[in-house]
Amino acid sequence: MTTHPSPAMIARYADREADLDEVTAWSVEVHLEDCADCRALVADSTTDDTRTLLARIAASVDHDIAAGPAPERRRRWSAARNRWLVWQLVPWLTMTVAVLGCAVLLQALRPDLPSLVSLLAPVAPLPGVAIAWSRRHDPAWELIAGTPAAGLAMLLRRTAAVLVVVVPALALAGTRTGASLALTLLPCLTFTAATIALGAFVGVRFAALGLGVAWTLAVVVPAVVTTHLPAVMQPGSSPVWALLTLALAGFAATQANNFRRLSSHN
Amino acid sequence: MRRTAAGDRRAFDELYRRTSPWLLARLRRRCADDDVVADVMQETYLAVWRAAGSFAGPATSGSAAGWLWTIAAHRLVDAFRRRARQNQVPAVPLAETVAPAAEDEVMAGRVGQELEQALLVLPAGARQVLRAMVLDGFSVRETSVLLGVPENTVKSQARRARIALREALS
Amino acid sequence: MMRTVSAAETAPTIHPWAVHAEGLRVRAGRHLAVDGLDLALGTGVHGLLGPNGAGKTTLMRALATVLKPAGGRLTLLGEPVDARANLRPVRRALGYLPQQFGFYPRFTVREFVEYMAWLKEMPKTAIPGAVQRAIDRVGLQAKAGARMKTLSGGMLRRAGIAQAIVNDPAVLLLDEPTVGLDPEQRLEFRELLRDLGVDSCVVVSTHLVEDVATACTDVVMINEGRLVYQGTTDDLVTQGGEGDAGDSPAERGYSALLRRHRAAAGR
Repeated sequence: MTTHPSPAMIARYADREADLDEVTAWSVEVHLEDCADCRALVADSTTDDTRTLLARIAASVDHDIAAGPAPERRRRWSAARNRWLVWQLVPWLTMTVAVLGCAVLLQALRPDLPSLVSLLAPVAPLPGVAIAWSRRHDPAWELIAGTPAAGLAMLLRRTAAVLVVVVPALALAGTRTGASLALTLLPCLTFTAATIALGAFVGVRFAALGLGVAWTLAVVVPAVVTTHLPAVMQPGSSPVWALLTLALAGFAATQANNFRRLSSHN
Repeated sequence: MRRTAAGDRRAFDELYRRTSPWLLARLRRRCADDDVVADVMQETYLAVWRAAGSFAGPATSGSAAGWLWTIAAHRLVDAFRRRARQNQVPAVPLAETVAPAAEDEVMAGRVGQELEQALLVLPAGARQVLRAMVLDGFSVRETSVLLGVPENTVKSQARRARIALREALS
Repeated sequence: MMRTVSAAETAPTIHPWAVHAEGLRVRAGRHLAVDGLDLALGTGVHGLLGPNGAGKTTLMRALATVLKPAGGRLTLLGEPVDARANLRPVRRALGYLPQQFGFYPRFTVREFVEYMAWLKEMPKTAIPGAVQRAIDRVGLQAKAGARMKTLSGGMLRRAGIAQAIVNDPAVLLLDEPTVGLDPEQRLEFRELLRDLGVDSCVVVSTHLVEDVATACTDVVMINEGRLVYQGTTDDLVTQGGEGDAGDSPAERGYSALLRRHRAAAGR
């Protein structure tokens, strides 16, 4: 609506007693929402009692403003920060990074050992993921569990918060010790996807625990004892890891409904 | 708005000066009781002052007037809820005439012919529902509190309005 | 601004009850806390009474879709809420305050209510206004910028109520909302409850019979996971007599009903 109503029409709109038909009133209101000039015209055509009423309102608003606190200053990114940062993860992620640091040191001291970082890579994200999905560690669990956003998407967001720390740490540790980057990062992602997929049935904490223990016993311990890099970590196995990651991730997506109540098999 | 968020009283006073007459006029056309209108206006501007920081953020879109109306509309519904318990809902009946008089100056580009046709055909109740839901942005529950009619009545009148509009357009 | 009204919004409501449970069974751990409960609640404020261990909190959790029912049927706003249901649309119209609600201590009150509003998938542009409105309604304007860990018990509870009402829910579930509130705050809260009951279904689980007597339109009593009584507060009063324990007519009615239910169960 590019044309403005006439000043007389606006005066009739502003005056409650004046006779104005519905159709015109509707058009005037729609126009006034967007046009500051015509709103100024409304201000000009106020009667005396309207002015007193407005002054009275202004006075009480002043009074309430003086009685209350000043408005808070908000930072733009505070909302996004609240949604992505998960504070309870911080100690566990610190522990994971520290363990990786120790692995690097140990590798430097005992170069005959097979790449410790690659061996630890699959289990590195598991403690973080287990905590991110754990009810006991999230103080607001009961509140969040009843919201529409609770479900796989939210849990994945938290897993991403874990991976954002673990993956660069692994990459750094890997390059320091000369291990293949693909072989450190891909197994990490595969095991994350496996934990989530398995977690749809037995709960993410058990899945993380089970997978962690199984990998340690079956692969890490023999590798350290025999100082041989195990078959699963040979250089040619990266496409297999990549394929496994995709398959498990797809499977986990199909089980999305199981996560509606923020934990599987409630 | 941004300056109000920074705690600038003068910007806030300027906002009040520019928008309060319009808001008052609009609220008065929906509520017969001036005291209620005054309370709603007071709460609205206070809310704007207190929450200005969040409004000026990246999530905002649309004009300040649209914002003000949304806040004021919700406060109006809250005031009506308080009075609904005491059965003293101060609603305002719609205007007596629906169509503009012949001798009135024609407002070019006004609300389309179709809407006018639909408004002319509808009964008063459906017109009220239409104004509340389409123009003011109220939900079904809020409209039922505002007009003092049951929710199912609001819904059936909204459906009737939609049918009339569809007929007018075809 | 003209907005479009969707067809779904104006479709006629076929569900007679906002909350409808038939033979509901819910487990709390291994114990069957709710055992064959039948309940039908419409618009208004409903008080949920019962002794400790009666299954009130478990029932509230099941209504809030936090716990999955082990058996029976539960329908919220006409939509079934069981294992396979799509819970997202129902949850958008729900508000819940748990008995012990945890919070993130570093959040301010406003950030907390905003975060919950975002989790409830409210349209982003509507969130700041709705947050301020919720904060105003519970009377926390002065503390809106304070961190949650600095709040007293009563203020914390009010912050919890604010997050429950921020999305203007059609079904509001409050578990012990008056804990920690001083008498004046409790009066203000009852006013708020009465306002909310005008157009939504509010369920208030409480220990204080007085809360129920003054603010609630009707009373639901449960014991050992089953429905004992449902009726208005006036009817509750008529259930009790001179010989029953209690300092007020409502309390006497309550203890009379409990006594009768236990006697019948013992038989």
